[in-house]
Amino acid sequence: MSANTMMKTSVRNFFAHKGRMALSAVAVLLSVAFVCGTLVFTDTMDTTFDKLFAATSSDVTVSPKEAKNEGSDTGRPESMPASALTRVERADGVKSAEGAVSSMNVTVVNADNKNMGSENGAPTIAGNWTHNDLRSMDITSGHAPRGPTEVMVDSDTAKKHHLKMGDELRTIAATGDFRARIVGIASFKVTNPGAAVVYFDTATAQRELLGRTGQFTQINVAADAGVSDAVLKKNVAASLDGPYKFQTQAEAADANRKDVGSFMDVIKYAMLGFAGIAFLVGIFLIINTFSMLVAQRTREIGLMRAVGSSRKQVNRSVLVEALLLGVFGSVIGVGAGVGLAVGLMKMMSAAGMDLSTDDLTVRWTTPAIGLLLGIVVTVLAAYVPARRAGKVSPMAALRDAGTPADVKAGLVRGLIGLVLTGGGGFALYTATQAAKAGEGSLWLGVGIVTTLVGFVVIGPLLAGGVVRVISAVLLRMFGSVGRMAERNALRNPRRTGATGAALMIGLALVACLSVVGSSMVASATSELDKSVGADFIVEGQNGLKPQAAQALKSAGESGYVSHVTEVKFVRTTLTTPGGVKEDEQLVAATPTYAQDLRRETTAGELSAAYGKDAMSVGSEFAKKNHLKVGDTMKVAFDHGRTVGLRIAAITSDDTTFDKGAMYINLTTAKRYVPADRLPLNGMMFAKAEPGKAGQAYKALKSSVAADPTVHVKNQTDYKQTLKDQVGQMLNMIYGLLALAIVVAVLGVVNTLALSVVERTREIGLMRAIGLSRRQLRRMIRLESVVIAVFGALLGLGLGMGWGATAQKLLALEGLDVLEIPWPTILTVFVGSAFVGLFAALIPAFRAGRMNVLNAIATE
Amino acid sequence: MTTAVTIPRHGGTGGRTAVAARARQVVKAYGSGETRVVALDHVDVDIARGQFTAIMGPSGSGKSTLMHCLAGLDNVTSGQIHLDETEITGLKDKKLTQLRRDRIGFIFQAFNLLPTLNALENITLPMDIAGRKPDREWLDRVVRTVGLAERLRHRPTELSGGQQQRVAVARALAARPEIIFGDEPTGNLDSRAGAEVLGFLRQSVDELGQTIVMVTHDPVAASYADRVLYLADGRIVDEMLRPTADAVLDRMKDFDARGRTS
Repeated sequence: MSANTMMKTSVRNFFAHKGRMALSAVAVLLSVAFVCGTLVFTDTMDTTFDKLFAATSSDVTVSPKEAKNEGSDTGRPESMPASALTRVERADGVKSAEGAVSSMNVTVVNADNKNMGSENGAPTIAGNWTHNDLRSMDITSGHAPRGPTEVMVDSDTAKKHHLKMGDELRTIAATGDFRARIVGIASFKVTNPGAAVVYFDTATAQRELLGRTGQFTQINVAADAGVSDAVLKKNVAASLDGPYKFQTQAEAADANRKDVGSFMDVIKYAMLGFAGIAFLVGIFLIINTFSMLVAQRTREIGLMRAVGSSRKQVNRSVLVEALLLGVFGSVIGVGAGVGLAVGLMKMMSAAGMDLSTDDLTVRWTTPAIGLLLGIVVTVLAAYVPARRAGKVSPMAALRDAGTPADVKAGLVRGLIGLVLTGGGGFALYTATQAAKAGEGSLWLGVGIVTTLVGFVVIGPLLAGGVVRVISAVLLRMFGSVGRMAERNALRNPRRTGATGAALMIGLALVACLSVVGSSMVASATSELDKSVGADFIVEGQNGLKPQAAQALKSAGESGYVSHVTEVKFVRTTLTTPGGVKEDEQLVAATPTYAQDLRRETTAGELSAAYGKDAMSVGSEFAKKNHLKVGDTMKVAFDHGRTVGLRIAAITSDDTTFDKGAMYINLTTAKRYVPADRLPLNGMMFAKAEPGKAGQAYKALKSSVAADPTVHVKNQTDYKQTLKDQVGQMLNMIYGLLALAIVVAVLGVVNTLALSVVERTREIGLMRAIGLSRRQLRRMIRLESVVIAVFGALLGLGLGMGWGATAQKLLALEGLDVLEIPWPTILTVFVGSAFVGLFAALIPAFRAGRMNVLNAIATE
Repeated sequence: MTTAVTIPRHGGTGGRTAVAARARQVVKAYGSGETRVVALDHVDVDIARGQFTAIMGPSGSGKSTLMHCLAGLDNVTSGQIHLDETEITGLKDKKLTQLRRDRIGFIFQAFNLLPTLNALENITLPMDIAGRKPDREWLDRVVRTVGLAERLRHRPTELSGGQQQRVAVARALAARPEIIFGDEPTGNLDSRAGAEVLGFLRQSVDELGQTIVMVTHDPVAASYADRVLYLADGRIVDEMLRPTADAVLDRMKDFDARGRTS
């Protein structure tokens, strides 16, 4: 047979099984779409940020060396004197230089005291309006701010919060609150991904954001014609000496991008990971589809072999079909991926992160990766069934094929599966016994992968037993219809096993993560109960501004509150008596912190650490540096003095909160660090007078009502927030895993559809002797439910095992309470039964519509 | 040739009426206009209760179609079919299915049994589907009659072709249907196994008073019947009572010859 004829056969076969191929193609499509969608989405984000940073950076930027992008510890950005500007202006090649003021540690609220900033991480930026801003923005209404009561706002924020000219905005900065009326609205020329921006005139910005005039946070330098950025940078650097940082436009953009980039990478790799899981599940679907096609076509293949095609040719013809499938699915998948990215961007926009489709970036690598991945995976997955097709003997043509004989899972398979599962189980056990989290997590990884593979291999063997048990519990009430459904599910354990295994993977991950998530919440809750003595916890966006701190302290005088604790994180460089130097943040707190967060000590009393010139260290640090109570540590406070502090206590590191923290009294920090260099309060705590919890809560809350970013929480609220955060994260992960589950459901549909076709005659016979349509449909639905529940049982069992192991391992990190979220597990279990029902809809409908006579007549 | 209207014979095992099923002016046509093919052409037929009726005819004569229509597996283009007092023409699928389940038994040429069920489960399947308990005593008697007592727990693949057909016969008998329809029930069997199965069918008519209609093209099989109906071109062209194999064969040859010359 010529290659051409073989090709024709492949193509015809491909189109003869449109329905089944379509299901497999959807699996390929979904996985490819997810990969491409992720790439397009992240590339587009990159483009957006690149454009933004390129537009916002001047040719050369000068800034204080210690300046960071996020708000600095003190709440006031690092600044430099105006004299620096004068010197820069005189440097060679400078066309113009302009002093800029900008702060990210501000909150802007409208007349209703509502935060104008983003709730999801994008910054609020306040600054002076400069010529450099004209490069990225246009004033679209009103004019630039002039004078202390005028403010200009970006159009995205104005639109989002329905701000109009003349509206009053209150800006809350570390130096105080001030009000201004909107006199202008400026629009970004590039896409602004979500920052809220407000502009003042230079004097106002200096006074209100920095707390002093004659200072800038940054100097934007423009080059003369013909002067390159690099040359300009050199000239400017030569004109200024002191702790300054010089960046060309490219460098500034790079630095900015790096900040965003690492966050983007996390998103990218997480999403690609989920795409990988979907691919894995898709592989099962493809293997199953081709196995079924080959089994169904045994006679036909036998005939082809009998008339002289070689094994290789048969093998190749199956692979060519797979290739067609891969190409077909991947091409559509790439297109769908772009659509997915656009959808994702729209979703992000709805959530407050504006992304414009104008920036849509499809690099050539995206379709290349998508196509390659889709095609290679499909062909590889079809390889095993293709080989099996090649092994069909010419005699198969002569045998009466009828329905393929029941496939008995082999002994070898069982042994391999047992060894893998056992080995994986052992690896998991080893992980729970690990003394170090790092080493344990390696075992955990090995254990997860090996048990998963083991379960996949052994699945067909387990199918027999598990399906019988499920049937005994579930199907008994359905009488003979239930019994037939059970027998049908047991007919081809390999197929049932593979179909269930596809579902198992997704559900195992769901179970594992839900166990870890709820253990996290339970552990934190129990730790809160055990060690947190404070009734109230106060947190802000970037620490607590002095206004809020002062208000809380005043509320402390209300009579309902027994104490208010301030906590600051102070940067220092430590030198141990042994001469080891380390950069450490000390926890400088009011001594009542020892009651707010109870800590065990291994030596000394914690209260002693709050004594004059005293401190505490964590047990691990003490052990590493051979420290004991009474030793003196040399502490160099950043921007402050270097002093010797006596170690008065060593705290046990067997804890979740403040692990390894070193405590000093707040007054100690105040003594050695100048007041304008003291960081903002990182957190605050408060305790109510006995029986006054309600009033205290109200008093504290109302004291900080002026700043909507400050949140006072009692323990109940705090626990709820914790739970909500973990819940949100889990929901997002479940959402991504849904893709894998959808692909698995397609697999169930596929298996059932094929079973219906294979059993046409049986169905005809049953209908002839009196099985009603409804009973027939129920039989198919029950079979589907059994397969789905089988997959769910395996997956949930496996996942809970993984989760429990992970918890045991993370117990070293403080995750010491194992909590199995039974409601979730049960919901998933019941849900999987419904998934089974859903998957059977179309196959059952088609079986019901089958003409009895034709069914009986089918040869 | 005129359509032979058969006169019901009285006697036998008796019952409510002597006719178990009857067809009146039944037409079954496929397609329309130029391509219209008439499979049954105004057929009238009465199936006597408690008798073994064979339907014969060359392939394409409409004998299988007639059986399918009588058994409620296929619908007719026009005419009426009654099963006892129930008119089945015009019944909806749900009612028809119920009727097949509760009142009719089937034996097909091949693929009679569900491979996932053992012999006993296959035998009781129609009753299980209906949610009825089989009559133990009757079931035992049927199983003994067809000689399957030893093999009830076997799956169909573990049984010979003859045994499989005997299970099918037992299934048809077990629910005590008003009529059993056989579609070449021995077509796939060697002559010995075929004779065995036909023997059981005959026996069930004689001893259990069962009504059986069987489509066949095998004169030997037809010779087991009480009465043979001959179909040609969708019409009943002849009938023979108390047939012998030789007589049937002769008649067939006769038709064949006539068919060729006409």
